[in-house]
Amino acid sequence: MNLKRDVAVQTYSGLGLSALLAITILNIMLHNMPQSVKRAGEKLLEINSQDGVANAVTTVVVYFRGFDTLGEIAVLFIASLGIGLVLSSHSEHHHKVESSFILKTASKLLFPIIILFGIYVMVYGHLSPGGGFQGGVIVASAFLLLLISHQDFELSHSVISAFETLAGVSYVIIGLMGLWILDNFLGNFIPHDISQMGMLVSGGIIPLIYIIVGIKVGSEMSMIVQNLLKRSDNE
Amino acid sequence: MIGIVILGSFIAIIIVAFASIVEKRLADSIVLSMGVGLGSVVLFFIFQAPDVALTEAVIGAGISSVIFLMALKHLKASR
Repeated sequence: MNLKRDVAVQTYSGLGLSALLAITILNIMLHNMPQSVKRAGEKLLEINSQDGVANAVTTVVVYFRGFDTLGEIAVLFIASLGIGLVLSSHSEHHHKVESSFILKTASKLLFPIIILFGIYVMVYGHLSPGGGFQGGVIVASAFLLLLISHQDFELSHSVISAFETLAGVSYVIIGLMGLWILDNFLGNFIPHDISQMGMLVSGGIIPLIYIIVGIKVGSEMSMIVQNLLKRSDNE
Repeated sequence: MIGIVILGSFIAIIIVAFASIVEKRLADSIVLSMGVGLGSVVLFFIFQAPDVALTEAVIGAGISSVIFLMALKHLKASR
């Protein structure tokens, strides 16, 4: 393995690709950008002002690109499934290393705070930066801390799968209800008044969808982390 | 002032990324690639994308490197 030559090849090809990308972007910016492409962001922001959601990014992610979010969750689910399949056997000869006193005490102190922060990021996704995906991963990292510090702690498989199934099914049901009532998938069928903008209960289905995404992502990431920590390869 | 921060994080990202390529030990290389995420968090935040910055901090610098480290542990165990 010739590391030096590999690094050189990768660096030069990376530089070449970046130069190509820069030339393309400059070309698009200077000359032939269609008027409709230039205005795409402005149009989205215009519709956003009728939606009653303070964080414009949330509207784009959940409302206009809600179907993509469903796909992202499906990808994460398949990744979790793959890790569960590859690392299928419980390790019998799992040499237990007692974690240090500092880690144990700190995890007891930090666990509720991290969980609370994750839920805050999830619930306030339509008002402040953050959202379901980030909140779910923060909750999963709290469980990661607990799994590292306490060797006997294990998440119940049935509870996690119940949470995940419920979240996935309710996402699709809410989407289909929008299709049924308003003729588009994830239509905002719950009344959302523009005067409520900035309140915790505002924006119709958008906070609801973000909480569901958070539960699903949190359970999937916790399962991935637990599988990687507690199981070994079956050789 | 803000320009110095932007330039500094750009240079830091490039240096850390290069260091993580040439590093021989894989565990150190993963930790260095966390530094790339950290630098881009600063950049995203300065360029007024706090949503992306939060995502990068949580997923790019946080959980993905943890998953890489655990995968490395499995790789060493299977050898």
